[in-house]
Amino acid sequence: MNTAFIRTTALLPIFALFFTACSSSTVSTNPANNNATPQTSTVIPIGIAVAQTSNVALLGQEQVAGAKIAEKYFNDQGGINGTPIKLVFQDTAGDEAGTINAFQALINKDKVVGIVGPTLSQQAFSANPIAERAKIPVLAPSNTAKGIPEIGDYIARVSAPVSVVAPNSIKAALKINPNIKKVAVFFAQNDAFSKSETEIFQQTVKEQNLELVTVQKFQTSDTDFQSQATNAINLKPDLVIISGLAADGGNLVRQLRELGYKGLIVGGNGLNTSNIFPVCKALCDGVLIAQAYSPEHPGEINTKFRQAYLDQFKKEPPQFSAQAFAAVQVYVEALKSLDQKSKVNKLELPALRTELNKQLLTGKYNTPLGEIAFTPIGEIVQKDFYVAQIKMEADGSKGKFTFLK
Amino acid sequence: MAEFFSTYGSLIVSMVLGALLGLSLYLPLMTGQLSLASPGFYALGGYIAAILSTKVFTSSSNLFPLHLLLLEMLIAGLVSGILGLLVGIPALRLRGIYLAIATIAFVEVLRVLSLNLEITGGAVGIFGIPQPFQTQIEYLWIALPLLLISMILFYRLERVRVGRAFTAIREDELAAGAMGINPTYYKVLAFTLGAILAGIVGAISAHFLNTWNARQGTFDASIIYLTFVLIGGSRTFLGSVVGGMVFTALPEVLRGIADSGLFPSWLGWLAQFLRDGRLIIFGLLIVIGTIFFPQGLVTPDIFKMGKVKK
Repeated sequence: MNTAFIRTTALLPIFALFFTACSSSTVSTNPANNNATPQTSTVIPIGIAVAQTSNVALLGQEQVAGAKIAEKYFNDQGGINGTPIKLVFQDTAGDEAGTINAFQALINKDKVVGIVGPTLSQQAFSANPIAERAKIPVLAPSNTAKGIPEIGDYIARVSAPVSVVAPNSIKAALKINPNIKKVAVFFAQNDAFSKSETEIFQQTVKEQNLELVTVQKFQTSDTDFQSQATNAINLKPDLVIISGLAADGGNLVRQLRELGYKGLIVGGNGLNTSNIFPVCKALCDGVLIAQAYSPEHPGEINTKFRQAYLDQFKKEPPQFSAQAFAAVQVYVEALKSLDQKSKVNKLELPALRTELNKQLLTGKYNTPLGEIAFTPIGEIVQKDFYVAQIKMEADGSKGKFTFLK
Repeated sequence: MAEFFSTYGSLIVSMVLGALLGLSLYLPLMTGQLSLASPGFYALGGYIAAILSTKVFTSSSNLFPLHLLLLEMLIAGLVSGILGLLVGIPALRLRGIYLAIATIAFVEVLRVLSLNLEITGGAVGIFGIPQPFQTQIEYLWIALPLLLISMILFYRLERVRVGRAFTAIREDELAAGAMGINPTYYKVLAFTLGAILAGIVGAISAHFLNTWNARQGTFDASIIYLTFVLIGGSRTFLGSVVGGMVFTALPEVLRGIADSGLFPSWLGWLAQFLRDGRLIIFGLLIVIGTIFFPQGLVTPDIFKMGKVKK
């Protein structure tokens, strides 16, 4: 009797908390939220829905960094003809339901004019149809899978699809060693991105008239690749192509080298992070990875962005940060040109979102990624791509991506 | 109020679906069987709905017809039920931790299959699943009646002969057997009923999430659903319902609290922690819950509070 009473009393505050949370957000006292309606606005809210927690957060946090640099940079430049922008961050975590909730909060509660996000293509397939139905523009900063802009009229991306980026690294490998004939392909079978990337790689191998000697599968959770590596090495490949993530991909590179593979290695976008240096150490040396962004890209805006990133994080900006910066920049410049036609803070929110979506697809933008534009369905048109090669110091403690000319 | 529903509509539906998943895990627990197979059937039901709606029932109309969704739920329930029967008969000869391991293995088998089959779309999964409703909140038309019907059935189940047999097996299988209850029959029955419910919920979830992939029914998911039941309360079905709702809502409630402006600026770090550390808080609650509420939050004792025991 007594314990039951204590338990029930303990339950009460939990429910009280629950109801406060729900009701307080409807009649919000937060000044930032009240300002969000554009009719009386002093700031223009842009939503950022990326993964700030969960195992995807490694990528999401790079995007947050890029977006924050963009917010400061463009507000210092005067925002939208005098009106500053304000980024509203909502964490999508790593799953589909979390992404839907983050999008709903941004669209209905924070009343943003457009959304940058989400981090993963799988999350995009889940949440983007909701934005499409709410008629709010979404710019994907890192969704490279096939079919993203096709989700709807309001969906566009600044991340070049894997079918455009991936083949560059194979071409670079052929330039370094024109005698390549036999190719072995490895991919992480349980990762959506690696699965679609490897299909592009295999297609490119066929188009270049190379011989695909083996396709080996692994899981992103694997640590031992001895059998796959031995199988491949026995077929004497001249080139190995790996689509995986940093931890498994790095281990695979290390074990291939330890088992005596001497040829070139091409890594996919999942290996495109300095996080793989501690995994394969000195054996990472020489891995080729195609890039949609180079910190050495000439141009004023990239110099500013790179400097701001270097000042803050003491290292070169990664591709994910540059793409998030570019996404915010596209919104800012589209809003600016829209503002010249009809004042954005006079427009009703639904009209503003629709006009913004039309506007952003027509413009040309000079971003840190180089010059970009969009096709009518929202696919990115990007001019410059790069291939980087990993250079490690002899003791294997430090490394960097050096860009091939 | 309209803003509240448009913001939290999807969360409310998720809560109802969470409660239903809790119930599907609670069924085998009624007979004392720690089975973690529910996410497997959930994933299976989702794949059935996803494949049917994208490949078989292609319709030109803007909204996916509701009767086809109900048909998908029926098929998903049937297939899950048959598979549940096939898996249940051999697997339920195992007990306790061995049954848990066997059911985890079953979930893994389904996951690896879905990664390798062409029809399930490999790791990318299936996307572009058609929507039967304009807004997310309207899924309540399907989910809420299902929950209410299930709750009425569970209420009855706990009071009729079959349910009493379940409880008898949970309390002491040997004694129950000695009294003429066939333990295998009732255990497989409970397991299969749980499988059917999980399959139906999966079919709704596939439409609700727009996309379905191999990450939906994983070992991690098993643990979260088990949390619903164990922290909610494993002695009465209301525990699973409350657990499923509270734990599905918790991360979003914390997000709401952080955004609500209740915190003065010098407490900004706390708001930030509530927002980014939601999953840490979630984990802490599980630890605290198991220490202080070993029987779960909702126990049958709560209903006896009015009556004075002497």
